[in-house]
Amino acid sequence: MRGNDVKRYGLLALALLFVGIYLFPLYWMYVTALKSNSEIFAIPPTFWPRDPQWIVMDVWQRMKMDVYLRNSLIIAFGVTVIVTMTGTGCAYVLARIRNRWMDAVLFTVLMMQVLPSSLMITPIFVVFNQVGLSEYPRLSVILAQAAKVLPLYIVLCRATFLQVPKELEEAARVDGNSRVGAFLTIIVPLARNGILVTSVLIFLQSFGEYVYSRSLITQRALQPATVGLQSFMGPNSSDWAGVMTYSAIYVTPILIVFVLLQRQIVSGLTSGALK
Amino acid sequence: MSRFKNTFSDGVGFDTILVMIALGYLVLFSAFPLVYNIVMSMQEVDLFSLASFDRPFVGLDNYRDVLGRPETMQIFFNTVKFVGFSVAAQLAIGFGLAMFFQLDFPGNTWLRGLFLAGWIMPAIVVGGVWSWILAGDFGVLNHILLATGLGDEKIFWLSDPEFALYSVILANIWLGVPFNMILLSVGLSGISEDVYEAAQMDGATRIQRFFTITLPLMRAQLGAVISLGVIFTLQQFDLFASLTQGGPSNASNVFQYWSWQLSFQNYEIGVGSVISVLMILFVVLVAAVYVRSTRHEHVA
Amino acid sequence: MNMKGLILAGAAWGALTATAFAEPVELDLWTIDDPGEYHYVMAEEFMAAHPEIRINVRTVQFDDMVNDLARGIAAGDAPDITYIDNPEVALFASRGMLLDLTPYIEASDIVNTEDIYPGPLASVSYDGGIYGLPRGANTIALYYNADMFREAGLDPDNPPKTWDELYEAAKVLTRPEENIYGLAFSAQASEEGTFQFLPWVQMTGGDYDNIATEGAARTLELWKSFIGEGLASPDTLIRGQWDSTGTFNTGSAAMVISGPWELPRMSKEADFEFRATLLPVPEEGAERASALGEGDNVILASSDNPDEAFKFIEFLYADMDRVWNDFGYLPASEVEVTDPKFPEIYAVFAESMKYARNRGPHPEWPKISKALQTAIQTTLTGQADAAEALTQAQSAIDRVLQ
Repeated sequence: MRGNDVKRYGLLALALLFVGIYLFPLYWMYVTALKSNSEIFAIPPTFWPRDPQWIVMDVWQRMKMDVYLRNSLIIAFGVTVIVTMTGTGCAYVLARIRNRWMDAVLFTVLMMQVLPSSLMITPIFVVFNQVGLSEYPRLSVILAQAAKVLPLYIVLCRATFLQVPKELEEAARVDGNSRVGAFLTIIVPLARNGILVTSVLIFLQSFGEYVYSRSLITQRALQPATVGLQSFMGPNSSDWAGVMTYSAIYVTPILIVFVLLQRQIVSGLTSGALK
Repeated sequence: MSRFKNTFSDGVGFDTILVMIALGYLVLFSAFPLVYNIVMSMQEVDLFSLASFDRPFVGLDNYRDVLGRPETMQIFFNTVKFVGFSVAAQLAIGFGLAMFFQLDFPGNTWLRGLFLAGWIMPAIVVGGVWSWILAGDFGVLNHILLATGLGDEKIFWLSDPEFALYSVILANIWLGVPFNMILLSVGLSGISEDVYEAAQMDGATRIQRFFTITLPLMRAQLGAVISLGVIFTLQQFDLFASLTQGGPSNASNVFQYWSWQLSFQNYEIGVGSVISVLMILFVVLVAAVYVRSTRHEHVA
Repeated sequence: MNMKGLILAGAAWGALTATAFAEPVELDLWTIDDPGEYHYVMAEEFMAAHPEIRINVRTVQFDDMVNDLARGIAAGDAPDITYIDNPEVALFASRGMLLDLTPYIEASDIVNTEDIYPGPLASVSYDGGIYGLPRGANTIALYYNADMFREAGLDPDNPPKTWDELYEAAKVLTRPEENIYGLAFSAQASEEGTFQFLPWVQMTGGDYDNIATEGAARTLELWKSFIGEGLASPDTLIRGQWDSTGTFNTGSAAMVISGPWELPRMSKEADFEFRATLLPVPEEGAERASALGEGDNVILASSDNPDEAFKFIEFLYADMDRVWNDFGYLPASEVEVTDPKFPEIYAVFAESMKYARNRGPHPEWPKISKALQTAIQTTLTGQADAAEALTQAQSAIDRVLQ
């Protein structure tokens, strides 16, 4: 028994070490954000700020981060809504039916996300312009980004539906439900966890969207935080304290949401959302 | 009419509609740009003729141009290296961690969850943080290597052509490990303990058990992880933009970044599109492998 | 309120509504400036002086300007007026996308092409027309840390004049144990690398169309020894001028090659005495050259209000004497700068302007520039030797030129 405990705590220590190494970049971001400019370039580097500087408010105001973050939220939210509305049903069908046609569909879906946004942007720009979407640049980004992440959503969600036993649906049909009814009242609620977790991941990914926003949104007031960060980093990349503070302000809310929902996300993922 | 309605609420039509909604959306917003790319790869396109279809058709000239450039081979091999090393390392580390966190110790699930923090970070932020860690003169990684005696002189991670590509790979591995680990954890937890116990009774060693039980049972997951990993890695653009811009002298350039450079920095959009088409062909291959690998799910 | 008051009030109301209802002419202006900088400030001043014209200013990232502009033109929502970097005016002018200002300039009392320095004038000229007015000019020089010069036993009153002296000084000033490099500059694979490289070649008699020369090879070999011998950071290869100068400001480099745009930040961050001198020449008595930077105010051919647009860029041009003190770059025309800030450094840059040469102009400048960047980078990373890399660049450039 005792030996077992030693082993368990030894493993815990090892696990903490792994986590520590892995999360070091995050730690370094926060520490740098707190350093003064002279301390940043000190040799050897300090691993704990000697004289912490709190420049959050300064960066927040100077970069007008409230505007940037609001835009990031709007984009992420819009993308998530579109993706769940259009993708959930498709994922379900792909999980239920397996034939040559569905193979072709799955294949096509995967193919649709092959090209990086950086290569899709030129044609997208031209088309959006011609149909007048450029009047609504944030909507343009939402539509384009939704197409970008929809395949991932379908692939992940499909795995969730694989977990729902087919018999439950058949039972519901015997009870007189239509397919639509069975889908909405039985299947979707059963797959709720997986759908939620996948949506959260889509939300978080879209919160960090960069390429489309950079090219489609030219008005500062409509740009998301990634574009703001890049325009801040471009000419100021030696202002590491500023860049890291900006980054910290940007990712801290996501990290907090993540830590709070960590249990749900992990259990959602491990209970079969990803297979 | 009501029969028509019935198919949609009740029959095959229902499935068709659900699939068509998503597929229609994708065709509209993804397939068209893909086709447009192929068209442009056979035209002479510059910045000013972007908006019209009426452009000089040059057949395969752009393809010949790309294949004739001295840097093409170098960038091709960089792309292969980038994908190969990234995916292999993500897989190895992810698999290792997944098995490690499968062991029984306090807080294992919770600690494993912390790794996902890397996945939710915007790549542009990750690039910024890593470029600061990897900085040559003031970077903390060089300091750690020197202080611990692992290195004996400063390495200019981002500007030394020997290292630049590996720096981006390093950051990309960091980004990709969580996804691999979670995906593989799912597979591992699906393998029942009994199988292992039975094998242990038969006197199989740990290593034998890994190769004879774990690996074969994980085939479907491994296929999925590898092909998705390849696709995600080929998509990686933000890291190149924020770390090396493909430099120095193309030492860390890869197809997806080069194509963008050709189109948006040299304004040779036709030539840039050729690279995109070559990438599409490559991914068709990978996607085919993925679809094949999902067949095992139904066998199991 | 008596009758008179009422009448007065009514008149005032009438006047107010009259101005409010006289639709102002709207002009769109694209710039690389941020709020508070040149175009924003000048647009405000212009609108105050001309209430009948409204200017909508929009910031575009420097790197995105050509792309966004071309797309804007393609999509039919190009601005009326925009900033374009020097070497790219020819690209847009050759496509007929810019307004030829010649008739406007002839009619203008303010703009006189003879006053504009030859370099900036060449950058806006294309095929007999004049397609813009320079908003100013800049060039590069060698900044140095006078305190470090003294510590190293060098005479700050006698900074390096030739390439050999520059090399020797860099060697003496480099102190690896303290993380101090002798020299900082930019060899980045971008327009900035070309900008820093060409003057060196021009001093030896070469130019962008004659690059496979001994002088160009000598430049690259010298640059290579700066980096190879640790006199300049290897990051020179990936760092722009602004970042390189950042290392000078924090005391990690003793000298830096850059332009006047650095001064506001340098005066704030550097806690040492900084001075500037002309770019060193290959050997004593050699021809001088320097880079010509900054951009031009141009009017798009598609503008609906070219007269008002010209009024605005004429207004900008008329304030040329303010650009040094207010915005940190040099006048592009013959004007009197009274009481300049940093007078000694101003004198250096003003003299350097005399030697400043244009890049191009050529409608396919980005390709030419790219060939030069490739030669720089392949040599400095050791993938090719200088002569070989330059021969390749020459043949790439010849293909563009023919």
